[in-house]
Amino acid sequence: MPSIVEETPPPDEYSPHALLPFLHSQPQNALTRLYHRPSSCLSIFRLLAPIERQTIMNLLWLESSILLTTMSSWVVRDGKKIFDDAVATLSRLHILSNPSAKLGLNSTFKASLRHALTGGGTSGSFGVPAEIDDKRPSPTVQALDAYALERWETILHYMVSSGTGQLPAKPSQGVLYLLQRSGLMATNHGSQLQITSSGFQFLLHTPHAQLWELLLQYLQMVEERQMDLVEVLSFLFMLSTMELGRDYSTEGLSETQKAMLEDLRDYGLIWQRKASSRRFCPTRLATTLTSSLPPLPTATGAGTDGQAQGFIVLETNYRLYAYTDNPLQTAVLNLFVTMKSRFPNLVVGSITRESVRKALANGITADQIISYLTTYAHPQMRKNKPLLPVTVQDQIRLWELERNRVKTQEGYLYTAFASQADYEYVLNYAKQLDVVLWENPARRCFFGSLEGHSNIRGFIERRTAAGNGGS
Amino acid sequence: MERGSHLSLIIDLSPSQWHLSADPSNPYPLSFKTFLSHVLTFVNSHIASKHENTLAVFGAFPGKSVMLYPSSETTDDPTISSDPNTYRPFKLLDSVIARNIGRELELLGDSDDEAPVALVGALTKALCYINRHAHVPTGSATEDATAFTDPRILILSVSPDLSTAYIPVMNAIFSAQKLKVNIDVCKVYGPDTIFLQQAAHLTGGSYIYLERRDAFLQYLIMSFLPTPSMRKVLAVPKQDKVDFRAACFCHKNIVDIGFVCSVCLSIFCSPVPVCSTCRTKFPIKTLQRLNASRPVVPAAHNGSANGTPRAPAGRAEQLVIGQSALRDEEIDHLS
Repeated sequence: MPSIVEETPPPDEYSPHALLPFLHSQPQNALTRLYHRPSSCLSIFRLLAPIERQTIMNLLWLESSILLTTMSSWVVRDGKKIFDDAVATLSRLHILSNPSAKLGLNSTFKASLRHALTGGGTSGSFGVPAEIDDKRPSPTVQALDAYALERWETILHYMVSSGTGQLPAKPSQGVLYLLQRSGLMATNHGSQLQITSSGFQFLLHTPHAQLWELLLQYLQMVEERQMDLVEVLSFLFMLSTMELGRDYSTEGLSETQKAMLEDLRDYGLIWQRKASSRRFCPTRLATTLTSSLPPLPTATGAGTDGQAQGFIVLETNYRLYAYTDNPLQTAVLNLFVTMKSRFPNLVVGSITRESVRKALANGITADQIISYLTTYAHPQMRKNKPLLPVTVQDQIRLWELERNRVKTQEGYLYTAFASQADYEYVLNYAKQLDVVLWENPARRCFFGSLEGHSNIRGFIERRTAAGNGGS
Repeated sequence: MERGSHLSLIIDLSPSQWHLSADPSNPYPLSFKTFLSHVLTFVNSHIASKHENTLAVFGAFPGKSVMLYPSSETTDDPTISSDPNTYRPFKLLDSVIARNIGRELELLGDSDDEAPVALVGALTKALCYINRHAHVPTGSATEDATAFTDPRILILSVSPDLSTAYIPVMNAIFSAQKLKVNIDVCKVYGPDTIFLQQAAHLTGGSYIYLERRDAFLQYLIMSFLPTPSMRKVLAVPKQDKVDFRAACFCHKNIVDIGFVCSVCLSIFCSPVPVCSTCRTKFPIKTLQRLNASRPVVPAAHNGSANGTPRAPAGRAEQLVIGQSALRDEEIDHLS
């Protein structure tokens, strides 16, 4: 039995936010335009790693730039590499200008972040609040949460049940297009959209990661829709600094941003009374974009306020109890669990070889299954150490390894050599190139990999030609 | 993903000390108004660093301590108008703190003799606040989201030591150690306070004497903004020398040589026949021997044994011997 290496990283380890690589790839002038708005600076600042934030803060109120060596003397010796990485990241984002010798903040970024911290300015980048209208009061936080949840689950539920034949409510055309563009769903000879293997993986991510994955995809599409990327990004950042349960006016928004209102309404990030309304409300999905708080209030349905995300109990005998009445969660569990029975608030099933292999065939990995079970573990499970039974974790990984016993490699089979000497001569040459994957001297054939083919073929042709010329 | 951290800020609001501090004859005069604007920028920076970061602000006024933020009316106050140019949490925070300080200062009145600042009261309130939020009843599902991680306390002090407060300060330090709360101290004005030095030293925080008071905000950001977990990577200045002298229990004087009750560890400035705390009677011979061994002129440079009140025995040795004060903070000037 092969040994299984535990590969769970410590939970405190920092991983960079999904948006940062996208920002790295943007040209400097686009980023500088983005930094003109205090709300964008504040949001980007929050997405950075702790040491990067501290470096920015250290430099924020200094008028002149300071030597890199002076700054790095604040770092203990073991943290040197972390600090150097932080400086590199910041200069890629063009927040630090010219980091080789002296450290100084980008002047636009510095001015905007100072404005964000002290208030003032005339940018209006934190959203213009709508005047209070007594006839049409703004919706309550509960109503907004319910709305966001309904929108978001519609999308996920549509994805998860697309392969099963039953048809739940369809999300809007824009969402369907986005899902198709992002490769999460694909048309399968015909008009019917089918979930892809990356779509299955998507379903097991946390809502926060899912949201950013879709938004990143949205940002990728922005240019072909001839929208201004900076406007789109700054609108998203503005939403993330807005206050939940408050009405904002659409005045002061650019045309691009007004066009975005419709898309974001489809994703459930904002709420509007009607499409032509001149005011809008951000939902919790929008206001938690730059935080790690759960973006969806209660994923387990109404009536259980304050209940955390955890609802799954997993036992060492592979039995799984899920305290949920939510069809979406049931459907997601159904991806890798054999369901046994359902009760009004409880689903019972067990993890079997067949069910896991079905999930693996769909492109889901063992680690994703395990991390999903960990994320949504019931509070009772959190008392266990380790959280999930080790036997079950190991077995799921073993089932995955089972599938990986056969490895495919493309190549060419060389046969029908005229003589044993010919065969050995060519085989030796191929061995020198290190491209032989398999050989069988008795039948005078061997199998070479794809990259060696042109060489071997040239070698045989030269030899044949030489042989012909000689005789 | 890293979790939010909690900061409890304690501001020393002694009107007379702030008046002295603003005096233009000082090398770097710092008026209360400038101080407050720097502090508000600092707390905004703390909130800005992470959406989940939490903050509580306590004011130590003469004779009383008040929780300035969060106050009960914080959540939704229609009198604070919305401003499209300001992030709303900052606006709420700043106006609530400023308004509460103003209100409390007006209530103080104009009496000539100012009561000593209730720093211990504020410190205790801060510890209670942290304790309440650190121990959310288990089993409730939201415990992970709201429980404080990495709590720390920052004291901005301007008043001198109050020797009667020795025992309560020490007790607060022990509670902070037990709660694993770091106490940071920034001495904004006035002489070093040895009690707060000890508080910072014993809880793993840092004590900084503000030398360049025009660079107050920079001091705050570089030394006190990093969370305790980040201080493993960043070198935050700590004091080299800590004045470990204690105050005697009988006259509340700060003593160089103290006499410690062998039963309850109470400290006295001169040998006493009966311990006033635990009523232990000491033999007359010991008393005579101790009296005979007292130096005629108290040695100023060799502080001697002293003890701690109600300290667990294991902790006592941390406090016992101290050199006399040699102020030598290592503060790097960057500006």
